[in-house]
Amino acid sequence: MIKETEVDGVPTVVAPTQGPMHAGLVFRVGRADETLARSGLTHLVEHLALHGHGLTDYHFNGATGPTVTHFHMSGSESAVVEFLTGVCTALANLPMHRLATEKEILRTEWSSRTSPANEQMPLWRYGARDYGLLSYEEWGVSSLTAEEVEWWARTWFTRENAVLWIAGDGVPAGLSLRLPSGARRPVPAASSALPVTPAYFVGPSKSIVFDAVVRRRTAASVFTGVLQRELFRDLRQEGGYSYTVDASYDPRDNQVAIVTALADALPEKQSAVLGGFVDVLARLKVGRIDKADVEAVVGQGDESLRHPEAEAARLASVAVNMLTGYPNRTLEELRDELRAVTVDDVHEVAVEASNSGLLMVPRGHCADWAGYAEAPCQSTDRIDGPAYPSREHDDVSLVIGQQGVGIVTATGGSTVRFDRCSAMLAWPDGARELIGHDAFVVRVEPTLWEVPPQALAILDAALPPHQVITMPARQPDAIPQPKPKPKPVTVSPARNGFEMTVLAVSGVAGGLAALFAIAVTITALTDPGLDAVIAIIFFWAVAAILGAPAAVVYRRRRKRKAGPA
Amino acid sequence: MPPNPSPFPPPDFDLTHAYPDLAALRGAVVARDWPSISAFFDRLPDADRRNVAVRTAAEVDGADQWFAELVAANPDSSLIRVLYAASLIEAGWAVRSSYSAKYVSREQFKVFHDYLRRSEQLLIDITAREPDNVLAWALRQITALGLELGQAEARRRYDHVARYAPHCFFAQSRMLQQLCPKWSGDFDKAYAFARECAEAAPDGAINAALVADYYLERWLDFGDKAEAAAFLRRPEVQQEIRRAGGRSVLHPAHERGYKWYWAHNLFAALFSLAGDYAAAAVHFRAVGPYGDRFVWGYLGEPTRNFVEHRDRALGTGVTR
Repeated sequence: MIKETEVDGVPTVVAPTQGPMHAGLVFRVGRADETLARSGLTHLVEHLALHGHGLTDYHFNGATGPTVTHFHMSGSESAVVEFLTGVCTALANLPMHRLATEKEILRTEWSSRTSPANEQMPLWRYGARDYGLLSYEEWGVSSLTAEEVEWWARTWFTRENAVLWIAGDGVPAGLSLRLPSGARRPVPAASSALPVTPAYFVGPSKSIVFDAVVRRRTAASVFTGVLQRELFRDLRQEGGYSYTVDASYDPRDNQVAIVTALADALPEKQSAVLGGFVDVLARLKVGRIDKADVEAVVGQGDESLRHPEAEAARLASVAVNMLTGYPNRTLEELRDELRAVTVDDVHEVAVEASNSGLLMVPRGHCADWAGYAEAPCQSTDRIDGPAYPSREHDDVSLVIGQQGVGIVTATGGSTVRFDRCSAMLAWPDGARELIGHDAFVVRVEPTLWEVPPQALAILDAALPPHQVITMPARQPDAIPQPKPKPKPVTVSPARNGFEMTVLAVSGVAGGLAALFAIAVTITALTDPGLDAVIAIIFFWAVAAILGAPAAVVYRRRRKRKAGPA
Repeated sequence: MPPNPSPFPPPDFDLTHAYPDLAALRGAVVARDWPSISAFFDRLPDADRRNVAVRTAAEVDGADQWFAELVAANPDSSLIRVLYAASLIEAGWAVRSSYSAKYVSREQFKVFHDYLRRSEQLLIDITAREPDNVLAWALRQITALGLELGQAEARRRYDHVARYAPHCFFAQSRMLQQLCPKWSGDFDKAYAFARECAEAAPDGAINAALVADYYLERWLDFGDKAEAAAFLRRPEVQQEIRRAGGRSVLHPAHERGYKWYWAHNLFAALFSLAGDYAAAAVHFRAVGPYGDRFVWGYLGEPTRNFVEHRDRALGTGVTR
C-alpha cells in the first residue's frame, strides 16, 4: 500500500521496498512550459541544483521531461536526506557562479547526444510551442541571465508544485525540504500545427515513425503492446525488413496519451517497411486483432503489477499523476482494469490512433497513397511588403513587411508573422532566422539577398528581446556566399559564323562524296569483284571524312538547343 | 473489294472471342447482372482465372460507376469491392494511356494517380480484413507499380500473393514487369525471378512461359533491332525459350487457362523475331486468328506485325 504524508508542505507518497531506499522529488515543470527563445531554462536549473552532488558515490540523477522535472537518488537514508536537502537548498539559492560553466556543459551534452529517430515528431504535430519544443535544441541557454534563471526557479520549483516519493520504510529522519512557496501549475495546453490527420511528413531518419494522440486509458496501453507485437511479427519475423521495432505509450497530460511506434530499415527495404507499417495499422483499425495478443499484453502487464516491488516501482508515476491531476488507483484497481480490457476496447483505441496518426517517412517516400495527408510544407498566408530579389535564384524573393517576413518562390514559400513568431536567432554577422508558431522558418542571410540594411533593421525592431536568441559568431567560411546564377547559354556571333561555314562546306562536300559513293556502289553491284569492294570502301571513307565536321557541329548545336540537363 | 493479301483469316485481338466464357462475363457486366457475375466467379477454379476475370469485368467502359453503386449497396462483399478497386485502376490507366511516362502530361498523371490512390486505399482495407485475399494483393501489385512505391514494397505484395497462391502466374508476370529496368529494376533480377518461378512450377504449368516473357523484354530493350534478333538467336537463349515452351503450353500435362493464347502468341513472336519461322509456325497454328495485343504491341502496330509474321511462318501450301 502507498501511504500519503507531507514533508515541509510537500505532498509525499511512501511505499516499502526490499532494496535500499530510493526517493525522488518531482516538480510540475518541463520543456513544454518554456518558450523557444528561452528553451533550456528548466534543464539549466536542474543542472545548477545538482551541481553540489557531483562527487558522491551514490546513484542519483536529474531528468527534465516535457512536463515534469525529476531529482532522484538511491542509497542509505542519510545519503537520501543529504541529497534531497541539498537539492532544495540549491533550488532556493542557485549557485550562480556556476552559470557559465553549466551552460557550456549543457551545450556539450546536446552536441554529444544521438538524435532519437522520433525527434521531429513534436515539431510537426505541435509547431514551435509547448510540446513541439521537444524537437528543438535548447537554444535559449546561451542568452539566459542569472535573473531569468532565478525567476524560473522561484516560479516553478516551489513546494506547492512538487511531490516527493519515497521507496523505503518511511520519511527518513532529518529530511527537510526548504522550498519557496508558490502554486501548483496546470499542464500546458497543446498547440496544433496539423490541419488534418492522419498526416505524414518526410523526415531525416532511415526509420519509419508513427505517433498518435489517444484518450488516456488502460486499453490504450494494451493497444500499444498489441501494435508492437504486430509490427514485430510483420516487419521483422516474417518480412525480415527491420531490426528494431518498438512502441511506447506515454501519457501527455491527464487527458491524453501519445502512442509512438517505430521501425528501422535499410535504404533498399524502406518502401516495404512503410508498406508493412501501413498494413499493420490498417489491420488493427478494421478490428483484425488477435485475442491471443491482447491476452499476452494483459498478462505481461498483470505480472508486473503483481511483482513484490510493484508499489515501489510505480511511486514516480503516482507522483506525476498527483502533479498533473490524474486520479491514482490502487494496484488492485489497476489489475482489474487491465484484465477487463477486451479486443473491442483495443479496436476502439486503434480507430482513434489511426485517425489522429502522424507518420514520418524516409526521404524519397510519401504516404498519400495510403490516405495520409501531406503535413503543410508551404505557408498559406503571405506578407505584404517590398520584395527583395535573391542573388542566387531568379524566381525567389524575400519580403519584409510591417507584419512579418516571408520567402516567396514560384510554387509557394515560407512566412513568419511577427505576432506568431516563436523566436528569432540572431548572429553577429547580421544573419537572422525567424521561427513561426507553426514551425515554419525564414532564414535571412544578408549576403544572399539584394536587401538594404534599413529593411533588415525592421526585423530587430519588430521582436522584443525575450524572443531573440543571440547566436555565437560564425567562422567567415560558415557565412554563405551567393553561388553564381546559371548563365543562359549564348553562342558568340564569331563562333556561330565559323560553325555555319563548317556546316555548309563539310555538309556539301560530304554529301557530294556520298552521292558519288552510292553511284560507285550501284555500279559495283553489276560487276562484283575485289576491286569493286575496295572502291566502295574507299569512296565511302572519303564521304565520311568530308562530312564528319558537319556532323560534329550539328550535334553540338542540337545539344545546346536542348539546354543543360 | 480489294483482295485480302493474306490467305489466312483476319486477326482477332478480342480476348472474349478466344474465351467465350469471358464474353459472357463481359456481357453480364454490360447488362449489370450481378447474380451472373457472382456465379461466374464461384465457378472459377484458380487464382489466375479469377485474376483475368477481374480485369475483364473491370475493363468494361463505365464499370467503375456501376461497381461504386454496388459497393454502396453491398459494403460487405469483398468481391464487389475488389471489382470496384480493379475498375478504378483500369479507369486510371485509361487516362494514363499506353504512352511511356515521358509523354504523359502532368495533369494526366495527377488524375491517373488519383484513381490509383482511391483503389489502393480500398485495397488496403480489403487486405486488412482478409489477409488471404489473393485478388486484392495482386491488384495492389498494379497500384504499387503505377504509384511507383518501390521494388521492396512491390516484392512484399507479391510475397503476400505467393503465400496463399504459390504459382499465381498473374502475380509473377506483374512482378517480372516490376523487376525490368523500365520500372527501375534490373534484368539480372528479372531473369533470376523468371527462372525461379519457372523451376518451382509443376510440369505443364503456364509459369515456365515467364522465361520467354523475360526474353521479349530483353529484345525490346535493344536499340538496334538487328542486335536484338542476334541476341534471340544465341543458342543458349534459343534453348531456354524452347525449354520454356516445352515445359508450359507444349507440355502434355498443360491445361488451357486464360493465358493459353497469350503464351502461344509470345512464343510465335519470339521465334519470328529470331527468324525461326518453322518453330513459330507451331504456335501460330495453335492460336489461329487469336492474336494477343500486348505481345504484338511490343513489335509495333499489333495487327500488321501479327499478320506479317504469321503469313511468313505459315507460308503458302501450309495445310490448315
